[in-house]
Amino acid sequence: MGKYSGSETWQDVVPIPQDDGGPNPLAAIAYTEDYSEAMSYLRAVMADNEKSERALSLTEDIIVMNPAHYTVWLYRADVFFALEKDPLQELDWLNKISLKYLKNYQIWHHRQLIMTKIPSIPPTELPFLAQMFEKDSKNYHVWSYRQWLVRHFSLWDDELPYLESLLEEDVRNNSAWNHRWFVVFSRYVDPSAGTGADAAAIKADPEIVAREMEYAKAKIRLAPQNQSPWNYLRGVVKKREGGLAVLRAFAEEFADLAREDEVRSSHALDLLADVYAAEKEEEQAGKALELLARKYDPIRKNYWNYRRGLLGLKEVEVE
Amino acid sequence: MSLAAGPGRGGGTGRLPEDLELCIEKHVKYIQSLDTRKDELEYWLTEHLRLNGVYWGLTALHLLGRPDALPHRETIDFVLSCQHNNGGFGAAPGHDAHMLYTVSAVQILVTIDAVEELEKHGKGGKERVGEFIASLQNRDDGSFAGDEWGETDTRFLYGALNALSLLHLTSLIDTTKAVQYVQACSNFDGGYGVSPGAETHSGQIFTCLGALAIAGRLDLVDKDRLGGWLSERQLDNGGLNGRPEKLEDVCYSWWVGSSLAMIDRIHWIDGEKLGNFILQCQDIEMGGLSDRPGDAVDVFHTFFGVAGLSLLGYAGLEKVDPI
Ligand SMILES: [Zn+2]
Repeated sequence: MGKYSGSETWQDVVPIPQDDGGPNPLAAIAYTEDYSEAMSYLRAVMADNEKSERALSLTEDIIVMNPAHYTVWLYRADVFFALEKDPLQELDWLNKISLKYLKNYQIWHHRQLIMTKIPSIPPTELPFLAQMFEKDSKNYHVWSYRQWLVRHFSLWDDELPYLESLLEEDVRNNSAWNHRWFVVFSRYVDPSAGTGADAAAIKADPEIVAREMEYAKAKIRLAPQNQSPWNYLRGVVKKREGGLAVLRAFAEEFADLAREDEVRSSHALDLLADVYAAEKEEEQAGKALELLARKYDPIRKNYWNYRRGLLGLKEVEVE
Repeated sequence: MSLAAGPGRGGGTGRLPEDLELCIEKHVKYIQSLDTRKDELEYWLTEHLRLNGVYWGLTALHLLGRPDALPHRETIDFVLSCQHNNGGFGAAPGHDAHMLYTVSAVQILVTIDAVEELEKHGKGGKERVGEFIASLQNRDDGSFAGDEWGETDTRFLYGALNALSLLHLTSLIDTTKAVQYVQACSNFDGGYGVSPGAETHSGQIFTCLGALAIAGRLDLVDKDRLGGWLSERQLDNGGLNGRPEKLEDVCYSWWVGSSLAMIDRIHWIDGEKLGNFILQCQDIEMGGLSDRPGDAVDVFHTFFGVAGLSLLGYAGLEKVDPI
């Protein structure tokens, strides 16, 4: 007797066994009986479009066995909304399986659907996300969900202190840097307006730009070879009038062309190459690119040589 | 086609020799053997990906020069058995119709030259499939959902454009809006994310560039900047990662490599080092490739590795189209 075939609740349902669609019926399917049985009852209730408590608990059973089965999630959402179940209870259950299946993304879409039924953010939500980030602070699904959540409940103002704590823990967390950009600069961009491409070029409040530049610089000083804040810094500078030259003195702290053995950051060299080129100091720019091709980033020598080519300089030989 | 990992491990048990070659015959056998593993639980637990797996396996076989290594008629029958009345396809019979599997179905049928089967034995001809895909576009912002529940992802947008261009049905959708949406997903670092504001990720760059390439709008891309970011994904061991400070993985040989190829900058990474890294991920006895040396092989990474080598012009492989 299986869990379902032996249960009072399921007496009236005729399970529908697996048909794998191929021309040969599969005689020897030996996948575990529990999963197989639950699936055959799922096929039956779905065929009837049954929306009931027992259907809901059946989906729960299957999701725990196989959380990536997207059809079960869709059906669960369907039943959940039809029965007008308590969304907070659903979140509780989701928390448990989210912590268990970190790579699954159906969970997050389902969570988003459920959250739209809740008028204000439950006090447990952010602590739960923090728990997720303790397991994996770069989880792409969780970050995407968090962006949605921030926009949905307008949580902008409290994000920066939390992000600060994440970057203090790991200054190389690129996801946290991206989220900082989102909170500081994307806040005023309407994602559905189709202006994203130009969004990077839209100038921002000079005070905020200055604050963000100082922030990125301070983080770079902690780990000069960390690419995330360098990318961030370049992005921020585009938000103000004037070019990259404003970063010249800062970048030279990490890369002095007169002392080529003491370069502390290839990203500083990269930036200086652009600064010098913009200032018409081609020789200096070429020298920075040469150092990158020969010594500080030789795996990308073709890229650095391409950049030299743009300045009309010849390729550097790297063996 | 089993999507379960194993049985072998990339790199096998001992250290592989330096002058490694691609064991083409072993990998063909490995992919062919995947259909005989229906007695494993994992075979069924990965059913929600099946059609996708068939596509990757089939494409890998094509690149390996063995396009006929899977049974033709059975492949068609399986694909058609996944179709729903609305024209869309699920990952396997009994699974809901979804963009990803509809795209895989179209790709498979085109690859084995069997699109007309949709008319003969499917639920309506290719127009029906095209209408399903087109119905998932949000006409306001241009994005695409995966299914009726409306989860959006640039993967779905790319898939829609890819499948519709294969079927010559792009007129069913608003391509201009789709391009605008891709633009909205571009980031300050020159890359693209899964939705506006989301972190740049190599896999999403591939989907966004692929969509722009199909739409004929690669002119919108700052190729030098993006190429710089993409080439920065190469680590000292030759492998590529998907985001800064993440581990290398054979699948990024494809996502990063094909993205660089689409903007004509594949030579910005060290091809020899990448090739060696991929070859180190082979199981040279039982066939298959893994994400990195020491891990279990699977059909996805087998495709990604073979396709990566093909992009690099590895001798003995068919040339892959980066889009
Ligand atoms: Zn991978």
